Amino acid sequence: MRTALILGFVVLTGTSGEISLTHAMKQIGEVKHFSPADISYVLLRSLRQVWLWIAVALMALSFYAFLTMLSWYPVSFVVPATSLAYVAGALGAKFLLKERLTAIRWGGVACISLGVALAWTDPMPALVHLHYWAAVLRDVLLFAPLIPLFFYAFGAWAAWRFFRHSRATNSNPNDFTPALSILKPLHGLDRGAYDNFASFCRQDYPAYEILFAVGDDSDPAVPVVRRLISDFPQIPIRLLVNREIQGTNDKVAKLCFLARHANYDLLVVTDSDVRVAPDYLRRVIRIFSDARIGAVTALYRALEAPSFGAVMDTIGSLSFSSSALIARRLEGLKFTMGSTMALTRERLAEIGGFEPLLEMHSDDYELGRRIAEKGYSIELAPEPVDMEFPSEGIRDYLRHELRWLIGLRHIRPGGHFGLLMTQGIFWAALAAALAGSWSASAVWVAAYVIVRLFTGYVVGVWGLRDPVVRRYLWLLPLHDLFWFFLWVVSFGVNKIQWRGLAFSLRKGRMIPVASRPQRT
Amino acid sequence: MDESNSATRALQAKTYILLFLMMALGSVGNTVLDKGMKNLGPVDFSSRSAIWQGLFHTFTNGTIWLGILFMLLFMVCHMLVLSWADYSFVMLFSALTYALVPLLGYIWLKEYVPVARRFGIILIIFGVFLVSRTPPRTTQPISGRSAG
Repeated sequence: MRTALILGFVVLTGTSGEISLTHAMKQIGEVKHFSPADISYVLLRSLRQVWLWIAVALMALSFYAFLTMLSWYPVSFVVPATSLAYVAGALGAKFLLKERLTAIRWGGVACISLGVALAWTDPMPALVHLHYWAAVLRDVLLFAPLIPLFFYAFGAWAAWRFFRHSRATNSNPNDFTPALSILKPLHGLDRGAYDNFASFCRQDYPAYEILFAVGDDSDPAVPVVRRLISDFPQIPIRLLVNREIQGTNDKVAKLCFLARHANYDLLVVTDSDVRVAPDYLRRVIRIFSDARIGAVTALYRALEAPSFGAVMDTIGSLSFSSSALIARRLEGLKFTMGSTMALTRERLAEIGGFEPLLEMHSDDYELGRRIAEKGYSIELAPEPVDMEFPSEGIRDYLRHELRWLIGLRHIRPGGHFGLLMTQGIFWAALAAALAGSWSASAVWVAAYVIVRLFTGYVVGVWGLRDPVVRRYLWLLPLHDLFWFFLWVVSFGVNKIQWRGLAFSLRKGRMIPVASRPQRT
Repeated sequence: MDESNSATRALQAKTYILLFLMMALGSVGNTVLDKGMKNLGPVDFSSRSAIWQGLFHTFTNGTIWLGILFMLLFMVCHMLVLSWADYSFVMLFSALTYALVPLLGYIWLKEYVPVARRFGIILIIFGVFLVSRTPPRTTQPISGRSAG
């Protein structure tokens, strides 16, 4: 314990000191000329920065702790152990200083940390010091569950902030109601399809049109849309058959086609299984009154869960919402979700239209990422939309969750790997196994269950107001167990099944691999 | 485009010059301080008067002051480079000293370098090479606050 504490202290104080120093120097601004007068001016200005003095204090503490550590352990242990500071420093640079750490720089972090550890470990005496390393590893593993528990708690806090704020501002009147086109790419029929579509026809919004696209006339969605056209004659609804644009991603092909036929500059794209409240459009569109907004997306909740697979799916969406709210709080959203993708033609043109996404697996994610890369903000609609989750069995649920994880690994390998630190059930089980006493093991298991269920309640029941989560919240640990195993499996699988066809993924693009359907 | 390229090159040049200066000053400073402290002999903490005597000898030693001067210059370079470059860039790049110290020991002092250490040195150099392939600055400069 003593070893881990002093090591943690050295690393944390040293890294915090360096980050404070960087922050202080960034406040002063870039030194452009290197004359003695300019350098003296910068140094004198730096002395007036509070952050500089905080940095000095932290670095002094770190140095003192480092010397203490050297008095306890040999240098061949101390220097390699403190190479952890490179990892801590990189994390601090990313999250506190908002530096952009590319995969190449992360590769540098990994090589340098390992290199310092190897270069300063005395090979033979290192064997003698193995017990130090074993002690450090055990301590680290014992406290590792604190990271996912903090992640869960942070998710609850982010949800509390978001929903409290959106409910407080939601009732304000808003006259920003530009005419818009709702785009609905269809492929077959979802449960409750008519009610889902009809909810878009009952919008309290002055001027909008709805465009549906199918691949051919025999699509089972065609009669449902025709009935809709006849039931809502006051709404301009068009059913179009896309024979012009083809792509590996059929949904995007239809979106390209629909965008060409839409009459208005504001486009709202939603998946076919989404159902919305009458004030949905007003709530989404009011966000565009801020010119910095590039796109609006929405969280989602289940209307009901007709099968065990759908229950697990709903609980999974609660976990995803929690992660999205954390991402929004930390660095702003950099993606959109298929539940709602609202954007203007101008922003769409800036990213080259829907066409560049024709082969992408995660088109919704890519659309938001590309808009965010142009410097625009992605914002969440204040209320979630409802979704009709399919009545699927556990096998189908596992298959599509695996597909999602494989997709994530290909578009954000770092984010996919980082999911390891959010796997509370794994870390809690490991800490419980290493704890050495039944009571300590029970504390870790209880801490995981309590914090996880609390977060689930705040995000899913209080925030999203999801009736399925309210009923089945207790299954959250089971979902986490499935999720952990799927995450492990996702490292070894590259093929996905999409609408009956098999694809392999390459940099997020779907490459057809066989004419015969294959299982993931 | 040309202006932007030359600005990038100028930024990289001044970053690398200061980083190498920083590493040189840090290494020399540490060595001089090490030599100064070794000349003094072990510090005696057995009594209050021994501690004060140790401090007096430390701060009246010319070698120690020379080491402190080098370390101050190192700190100045460190602060200047952080005024524009990423902390993650500077931190990782300066790890090169961890590779240089055993490497110079091998070249000049003919010290034996075990296989694991050689592998570590290669990894550090490769890691720094990777970092050098990334831009030194990824955050927006704070406008209107440029110094100098």
